[in-house]
Amino acid sequence: MPDRAGRPRQGPWTAFRHWRGRRPFWGGLLLALGGAEILLTMKASVKVILHVGMQGLAGYLLPGLMVLLGLLILFNPAQRLFYSITGVLVTLGTWLTSNLGGFFVGLLLGGVGSCLAFGWLPDQESRRERRRRRREARAARQPLEPRTDGPV
Amino acid sequence: MASSTGNSPDGPESTSPAEAPQTPARRGRVRLRRAAVMAVPATAITAGLAILTAQGALGVQFAISGMPFVVTAEELRGEGFAQYGGLDNMAEDSPNAGDTGGQVLVVTSVVDKATLDGLCQSVDLGGTNLLLKAGWGADKVTASHLTTDSTQLSGSGEFGNIEIGNDASTLDKVDQKGPKGVFSQQADTVVIKDLRQENYAATAAVFKLPGLKMSFSESGCP
Repeated sequence: MPDRAGRPRQGPWTAFRHWRGRRPFWGGLLLALGGAEILLTMKASVKVILHVGMQGLAGYLLPGLMVLLGLLILFNPAQRLFYSITGVLVTLGTWLTSNLGGFFVGLLLGGVGSCLAFGWLPDQESRRERRRRRREARAARQPLEPRTDGPV
Repeated sequence: MASSTGNSPDGPESTSPAEAPQTPARRGRVRLRRAAVMAVPATAITAGLAILTAQGALGVQFAISGMPFVVTAEELRGEGFAQYGGLDNMAEDSPNAGDTGGQVLVVTSVVDKATLDGLCQSVDLGGTNLLLKAGWGADKVTASHLTTDSTQLSGSGEFGNIEIGNDASTLDKVDQKGPKGVFSQQADTVVIKDLRQENYAATAAVFKLPGLKMSFSESGCP
């Protein structure tokens, strides 16, 4: 890990990290994985699906949409609000259409993924920076209390 | 937070090393409060769906296969029943194919409106079984357009107005038809006690599962 030494990092991992920082990566990934898991539990033969008709098709349509929305969140993060709201509704719908949402696993993945994508905001300061600022603000509000760990 | 020395700014190497030291690394982040705006109602709706399903107020659609699974029921009552033979094809180069050439001879059973008492379904996941039980209380499981491709079927049956030996393409007591030139039988009503099916594929348009219980178990359905 050359970054510990303070040198700028190179290579594909850095590029991937930067790419990941610009989109709700885990949200999109979890939503797509949830859809894939539900599709895996739906492997009934096409012949049987055709027997049931349109209702059987919905069982494939919804998890397929989940995969699509997850990928769209990754590759078109500007529209993430629309994708994540649609994503969570479709995810909830799979409870009815696709084996109880892939026996709950896919439903959970898709729900968590949609929420992460919804809550994601671009260009945030780092967590440590935010914690420090919050502490500073608290210290500023109580100036009389002697503090040992605040900034001097 | 006055005692949290680990977060103090003079000890940055103790926290995550992911931040590049020279630039403050402004990345996108998940704001928890924002995520909660969606997470809270989504969790509530999920809980609502689960409760409504367990009470039998909401139907659920099933279509599992790929792995063989067992369905048992204390009693199945149905209106509109048909059965015919068929071949199911596995995916190309499926590891489950063995010496079957990837084809499984199945008997397809169709029940238009089914009521099941004491339903149990188990899938062998290798070492552990996913067990699904429903309809053990006063309310019964109901299903419409229940279609199963079984390799084994047992139970004691009773059929009303049965026709045996039709061509599978001429079935008219259910709204599905089989392939031409295949043996089939159909009946207006069906009652099967101590039903046990080993299924290769199954679908139902809508399944209502009152008293739903899902669990993992060492042994499958009896």
